[in-house]
Amino acid sequence: MSATVASAQAFLAVMRRDLHVYVSYRTRLVSQLLTSVFSLTLFYYVSRLVHLRGFASPASYFAFVVVGLALVSVMYSCFLIPEYIRQELVAGTFDRLVLSPFGPVRSVMAMTLFPLLLSFVLALVTLAIGCVLFGMHLHWVTVPLAVPAIGLALLAFLPFGLLFAALTVVIKQGNVGTSWVIALMALTGGVYFPITVLPQWLQVISRLQPFTPATSVLRHLLVDSPLAASFGPSLLKLAAFAAVLLPVSILLLAAAIRAGQRSGTIIEY
Amino acid sequence: MSASYTAPAPVPLVAPDTAPLSAAAAAHDDATFPLAIRAITKRWGNDQPPVLHELDLTLRERTMTWVGGRNGAGKTTMLRIAAGLIDPEGGTVRAWGITPRQSRARYQQLVSFLPAGDRGLYARLTVRKQLEFCARIALLPRARVRAAVEEALATFELTELADRRVDRLSMGQRQRLRIAMTFLPAPELVLLDEPLTSLDGQGAELLQSAIRELLARDGAVLWCSPSGEHLDMTFDRRWMLDAGRLLPA
Repeated sequence: MSATVASAQAFLAVMRRDLHVYVSYRTRLVSQLLTSVFSLTLFYYVSRLVHLRGFASPASYFAFVVVGLALVSVMYSCFLIPEYIRQELVAGTFDRLVLSPFGPVRSVMAMTLFPLLLSFVLALVTLAIGCVLFGMHLHWVTVPLAVPAIGLALLAFLPFGLLFAALTVVIKQGNVGTSWVIALMALTGGVYFPITVLPQWLQVISRLQPFTPATSVLRHLLVDSPLAASFGPSLLKLAAFAAVLLPVSILLLAAAIRAGQRSGTIIEY
Repeated sequence: MSASYTAPAPVPLVAPDTAPLSAAAAAHDDATFPLAIRAITKRWGNDQPPVLHELDLTLRERTMTWVGGRNGAGKTTMLRIAAGLIDPEGGTVRAWGITPRQSRARYQQLVSFLPAGDRGLYARLTVRKQLEFCARIALLPRARVRAAVEEALATFELTELADRRVDRLSMGQRQRLRIAMTFLPAPELVLLDEPLTSLDGQGAELLQSAIRELLARDGAVLWCSPSGEHLDMTFDRRWMLDAGRLLPA
């Protein structure tokens, strides 16, 4: 029991460490908030400039994009893990994690907590800015259901971050194609436009990744957009991504670390 | 500043080339030693000669052992293997009979490693936060964390620096913090790689004091540094690492 409590405390300690490092850069939060405001301002005027097929009004397209942007920031946070590991490798702190009783795999998993929590808060702030500054309407009746839905979406995105983290341990580079994957997921997942406008072959990719059902479900719950697919199957799809890929990604991360220890490359950066 | 260490009680030393035993007997025998390195071999690249070649080393309780050698002789590689950071290609390492692969967490609770250099610190954290983090990932019981941190701050005279960020510390202060992190979880075996780097006389005395305390509770220390380094220290045993093997120094 005490070991479990100590492990939970270690998870929280990693999160607290990342929080302290984050707040030590005083302008970072301001910069992120301004980025949200600028993005929303841009799309607010784009929504008023262009009439889009499939949207009843400029406001409905704006709400569509705001939820997409909020979710893409959450997804992006999962893909920050490889860069964090790269920083730990360069600073020599990864060795400490490997040599700690808490261990490297749990440490890497704990490293995901703060970025995920921060991205969740920033997503809420993005929605709040959309409502307060740009008059976006939330569908308050179903908004509470969006919280567990975002949690499920995070669990579905997280394995991709862990897989890239495993790759970073092996090849020692932070950006190992993560920006390409994020761009592909955002493009085919319908951040800026419905996936129905994409060519058929791209729509196939849309259906094979978790971002598409996540945006569809969250848009439905937050701004009452029509669902691209049925609600239940979309949630099941997210759950399946999490259930299958999460254990696989954790095993691959553990294997990458063990391979580094066997070859001796774990000390390299 | 002169300082010397004297072991609390004389303990017979075990030669590195212990007599061959069966695997089971050797494992049983090794369970009594803080560190038992048996025939470890490590090479960096298939076309390179082994940096460690069937190397044996035994550390007994309440002893401090020094291993010297030229730059690149393999001292750091040996320590990294003993710490469980990297694997040897052949041979075994045991701390009180436990290998790093049998019980990783337990092994890491027993063994603490101070790497050479000035890395391994979070520049934007304060000294106290750094130590707290260290205590947490060492899985110290919740009730013990605060006391362990305060004790480490006091032992290594870091109390006045507790709320200062690491990137605002001098090199010597950073080294004291790194040593404090090494001793904080109360390990039973401490592996030190060039621990005197950047330390002043006072820092070296604090280190020796921590070592004395560790040895008094039946721990052991393995200290590696280049052979040319001035060491005003008394070791229970001295070895030179040369051509992958340990020779009496």
